[in-house]
Amino acid sequence: MNVRKVLFRVGTVAVLLAIAACMMVIGRGHTVYFDNKKLEYNGQTLDTYRRINVFVNGEQVAKLSAKDRGMATFTGQKFSFDIEVTKEKGDEPVTYTFPITVPYGMDGIVLNLPGMIEELPEEAYASEFVPVATETTPEDEEIVTDEFGISIESAEDSAEAAPEG
Amino acid sequence: MSQNIKKETSAGKKALGFLAANSVPVMFILICAVCIPISGFSPAYLLNEIVTRMGRNVFLILSLLIPIMAGMGLNFGMTLGAMAGEIALIFVTDWQIWGIPGVVLAMIISIPFSIGLGLLCGKILNMAKGREMVTSYIISYFINGVYQLVVLYMMGSIIPIKHTTIRLPRGYGIRNTLSLLSMRQSIDNLLAIRVAGVKIPMLTFIIIAVMCLVIVWFRRTKLGQDMRAVGQDMDVARDAGINVERTRIISIVISTVLAGFGMIIYLQNMGNMPTYSAHSQIGMFCIAALLVGGASVDRASIGNVFLGVVLFHLMFIVAPSAGGKITGDTMIGEYFRVFVSYGVITVALVMYETKKRRAKASMGEQLQAAQQEGE
Repeated sequence: MNVRKVLFRVGTVAVLLAIAACMMVIGRGHTVYFDNKKLEYNGQTLDTYRRINVFVNGEQVAKLSAKDRGMATFTGQKFSFDIEVTKEKGDEPVTYTFPITVPYGMDGIVLNLPGMIEELPEEAYASEFVPVATETTPEDEEIVTDEFGISIESAEDSAEAAPEG
Repeated sequence: MSQNIKKETSAGKKALGFLAANSVPVMFILICAVCIPISGFSPAYLLNEIVTRMGRNVFLILSLLIPIMAGMGLNFGMTLGAMAGEIALIFVTDWQIWGIPGVVLAMIISIPFSIGLGLLCGKILNMAKGREMVTSYIISYFINGVYQLVVLYMMGSIIPIKHTTIRLPRGYGIRNTLSLLSMRQSIDNLLAIRVAGVKIPMLTFIIIAVMCLVIVWFRRTKLGQDMRAVGQDMDVARDAGINVERTRIISIVISTVLAGFGMIIYLQNMGNMPTYSAHSQIGMFCIAALLVGGASVDRASIGNVFLGVVLFHLMFIVAPSAGGKITGDTMIGEYFRVFVSYGVITVALVMYETKKRRAKASMGEQLQAAQQEGE
């Protein structure tokens, strides 16, 4: 094999790896959960707000009353959102903008909005969202198929036949 | 007068010859022509469905063209590429890479798996020259077993799978159905346009168009010419200095890699992945669609791919409804389309063998005549 061929191959692999690395960064999906819940920090209790509207890129993604949770998804590590806060009935809504950076390894982050509004440190209002695994039955799983004979029976049989670990 | 009769006879012969050469597409056009009015579907609905299915399936079927060019027949081993694509999608889902970056990453990850499987398949097929189709069909079953071993037992136990949402409740193995909602129709929706209520996935069609151009260009390259030479006659190609075995392996590797990409495009359109069965029938139905388009075991073109997808899927859409309206039972239509799918492959294989035997017999006759003349 001549040198030119080797260089071409190595170059191709390097380009593909570079594209893959870019895709891993820009396509990393995160879910942000917005809480309008009471927060206790250093003996201080922050109360909920009457109404918080959350906007991402100008689009409303959540309308939170007290004790509510909303969510939004985004890709990449940096994320910015606006909130429109109404403290009490009849109050004028106040708008805040929060940019956040989510660590790469974190799938979901829970943000306590009253804590953010009060400008508490990050460890007070941000925490990792840990999903609780639920056991799903095949009936729960909505399966979209075309007519290519795709069915889940064979896989179920295989899974059931497998010895339990 | 006699000239007119001669002209009519030759025109009749031509028409008969055309019908004989295109009997499968003609048959499907007739089936669709009968079934469409009975099914009662509106033209807009049918058009929408056909456009969606073209975007979903054409790339997969294009992956079959190169092995046919190299004389290796219908590559049932494209299932291997489909499995490589699925493994890539499992990783990408676990790593939470969403949207188009997820699709692109899955395609890149599928490449080494596809190349490895393609090399294995190509090497085995070189040991079974002349029996490529049945061998590739059995290889797909063999690799399916390996795939199940890896996905059902090794993923989550040996191969790290972080998310419990995709792992089986027992802690290892991947769930029966993997949700691809985070990348569902991400390619199809980008640059999509609506014309008279029909959604046209422009980016998908651009990708397909580029692939078609690449195939046309590839045919003219040195490697493409070598493949055609190998496809026509391996001994002559070898005498001409072409490395036949290597050329055949390359054709299978290219086909497997393209099948992996095609499977990713197919599954992103569906939005979910039946982990253990998505690939099992895909080869069969892609091959059936290609044959319906008028291709044969030794000859296939890009036109056959498009015609095949339109006719085969039109039949798939209208048959259950038409069957239901004729017999009162939609299952009749389901059975009909299943037996037609397998039937068309059988007919194509029988026709290919008959043609081959006839050619052999006529060559034998010519040789005999030449020998007699020599004596």
